[in-house]
Formats: sequence, C-alpha cells, structure tokens
Amino acid sequence: MQAFQQSLAQLEAANTQVLGVSMDSTFANKAWAEQIGVQFPLLSDWGGETTHRYGIFNPKSKAPRRTTLIISPEGKIKYIQQDTAALDPADTVAVCTRKPLKE
Amino acid sequence: MRRIVGLALAVVLAVSVLPWFSLSSILRAKTLSSAPAPMQLKVGDSAPDFTLRDQNGKEVSLKDFRGKKTVALAFYVFAFSGG
Repeated sequence: MQAFQQSLAQLEAANTQVLGVSMDSTFANKAWAEQIGVQFPLLSDWGGETTHRYGIFNPKSKAPRRTTLIISPEGKIKYIQQDTAALDPADTVAVCTRKPLKE
Repeated sequence: MRRIVGLALAVVLAVSVLPWFSLSSILRAKTLSSAPAPMQLKVGDSAPDFTLRDQNGKEVSLKDFRGKKTVALAFYVFAFSGG
C-alpha cells in the first residue's frame, strides 16, 4: 500500500480512486494507515464477504490474495493483476493514466 | 492349519492396508483442492458492489464512484505487512 501511496497523486490526477481492502479490523487498518502515512481508504472486509465474492480468498493464509482490479466508472473490470505481480502499482498507473477508460 | 492361519493373516492385512491407501489418496486430493482456486471474475465482468468501513469508520461503497471515477481496488493480505 506504500507503493500506491507514492503513486497516489498520479492516480488522482487520472481521476482514479484508490481503495485498499483486507480482512483486517478497522482498528488495525487505522494504526497501519497512520504508521505508513496512507491517505486513501483502507477498507475492512471483516469476515471476508467481499473477498469471497471476488473469489480471491486464500484458504492457506485465511486472507485475500494480493489482487488489484481496475474498475471503470461504469463498474466494469478493466484490468486484473494478482499475487507478486500486483505488488508494484506501475501497471495500474500506466492503465489509469493512459486514457480515460471507455466501456 | 498353518496355511489357513497364513491365509487369514494375509486377508486381514489386505483389508486393513487397502483402506489406508484410499484414505491417503483422499487426503491428498483434499490438500490439492485447498490451493487457491483460479479467480472467477474476469476482465469485462461487472465488479461486485460492496459497502465496507474505512480506517476512520466511514462507509465506502463501490457504487459511490459509479459514473464519476475509475477505481483501483487493491486487496492486500494483511495490515502491517509488505505490499
């Protein structure tokens, strides 16, 4: 999430809202956001309903798989990156800043 | 008599060992199926809506950004860990 924070200005300039999501509690997310200086929402999927709905629950870690999805203003998935590939937001920045996403 | 005892022993051995093999193969299959399944959602699908609380307790929904913004939805494994 630190890497997303570093790219935040670029993404916001491209009309992109960054949302972090994990199955941590709101309290853990608050403490972590303060520690690493994240200014975008870190959402608490406590219980994992959203993680399961997106089909990215990893039973081994009992947590979501590292996954980035780019969702157009029309609500359609435009791009998916998973696991170690999703750690670096460079591709996300590239996709979001390329052009306004069209359906 | 000795032959009968030997035969009986062989039968007992077979009966007790065979289920063990099938049990171990069942267990192995179970281990395999607990690996993360491939993601069902794909590019072009509608993103499922959600309403979740952010670190300040504010509710955020995907539909809040409908018609307004692109959303980069970044799932991370745990707070206080890399990425």
